[in-house]
Amino acid sequence: MNASSSLQSTNASPPGMLRKGGGFILSVVLLGLTLLALRYYEVDLPIYSLLEGHNRVDPAELHLSGEFVESNLGTAVNADGSYTVRMIAQQYLFVPQCIVVPAGVPVQFRVTSADASHLLSFSGTPYSIQAAPGYVSTAELTFDREGQFPMPCRRFCGPGHYAMRAQLKVVNRDQLANLRPYERITCALR
Amino acid sequence: MRYAKPVLLGRGALSAYLVLVLSLVLLFCKGISQSATRAEVQPTIQIPSNVAWTEETIRLASGGDAFRGLLWSRRCSHCHGSEGFSEEGGIPDLAGLDRLSLWKQLQDFRAGKRRSAAMQPIASGLSDQNIADLAAYFSMLPTSPDPQDNRAFPQPILDRLHTSIAVRLVVFGDAARGIPPCQACHGPVGFIKGAPSLMTQNGTYLRNQMQQFSDGSRANDINVVMRSIVNQLTDVEKTSLAEFYGAGPQSAGGLHP
Repeated sequence: MNASSSLQSTNASPPGMLRKGGGFILSVVLLGLTLLALRYYEVDLPIYSLLEGHNRVDPAELHLSGEFVESNLGTAVNADGSYTVRMIAQQYLFVPQCIVVPAGVPVQFRVTSADASHLLSFSGTPYSIQAAPGYVSTAELTFDREGQFPMPCRRFCGPGHYAMRAQLKVVNRDQLANLRPYERITCALR
Repeated sequence: MRYAKPVLLGRGALSAYLVLVLSLVLLFCKGISQSATRAEVQPTIQIPSNVAWTEETIRLASGGDAFRGLLWSRRCSHCHGSEGFSEEGGIPDLAGLDRLSLWKQLQDFRAGKRRSAAMQPIASGLSDQNIADLAAYFSMLPTSPDPQDNRAFPQPILDRLHTSIAVRLVVFGDAARGIPPCQACHGPVGFIKGAPSLMTQNGTYLRNQMQQFSDGSRANDINVVMRSIVNQLTDVEKTSLAEFYGAGPQSAGGLHP
């Protein structure tokens, strides 16, 4: 009896801040905290994909249809002149193993996984892209320095994980100027 | 009983809901604009293999009857040996290979995704059930020699340099070139779907297949896995690996149990 009455009394008089426009502040703070938590626990990927809808693929059937068939992998130029790179992460290899991107231009990455969860990281930069089976991870990255950089996998994915490494070749933009819309280029040995 | 007035009602709450709705709308708009700018031309599609490891395929491929496979295998024993070990070097040993890789190769022969003058006509006469039965039969054949057999087999003499090159690739791979260790997929450390065990395979066949992967005459690996790896191997490395695996489990210095 005593406990319930004390509970009522606290509910009946909320702090003053919550009464005048406090709901707004509270909800903004909660929204911000939620977004931060999503980032921190890396659950952003499924949720954003669910909202965007088109970023779902079947990991077992990547080679049969869709944008990750083997002839469509690598660097492509879009109709508006921007660049898109498509890669598959799988046990224990990134395909294509060596990609070419122009320097100083934002490049759209589209990465998915065929089996386990991988983390495509860019050595010398703070960037990394998570590749999860069933989802297409997108990122827009700009590389300023020309050269060749390793892209190791930074999430343990099995016994071959330690040798899972692709190469990123950042070249002058002129070298990619003549890329045709249907062409895909890589620097992997084929 | 008197209940407290809920906090999230009123003018403040209204604006909070507005913020929520706005942020959701912004998220959707981001998605739509991304999909709109991706209108582009796709090159002609090349499909390496019609086999995809879906639940349905795995169920079909592993649901064979080994006894029916034994009856069908009388056609195979002429080249692949009555116990799954072939007499000739270029012909693969099928004993003890897993069902999924046998299924995939026969399906690819049948669909013309993997070329072979001998195997394509044979595979074209097989149904899905036949293939599953054969895979079940060959996967059950023993790979170890008969313990009661007292014949002395000549032990192959391995080149020490070649062995060290091969052992390094098999155990560690080469991270600088992005070559994963062979044993992570082909056993015994790990297996992935469709990757056969190489422990008891013959060396001539392995050397031929590596050559075919690198010159493009064999291209039925899903998502360019084997082509990407083999294309980076030098000729010496290919030969070393073929010699190493071809020497069998006994001569590998205890690497394979």
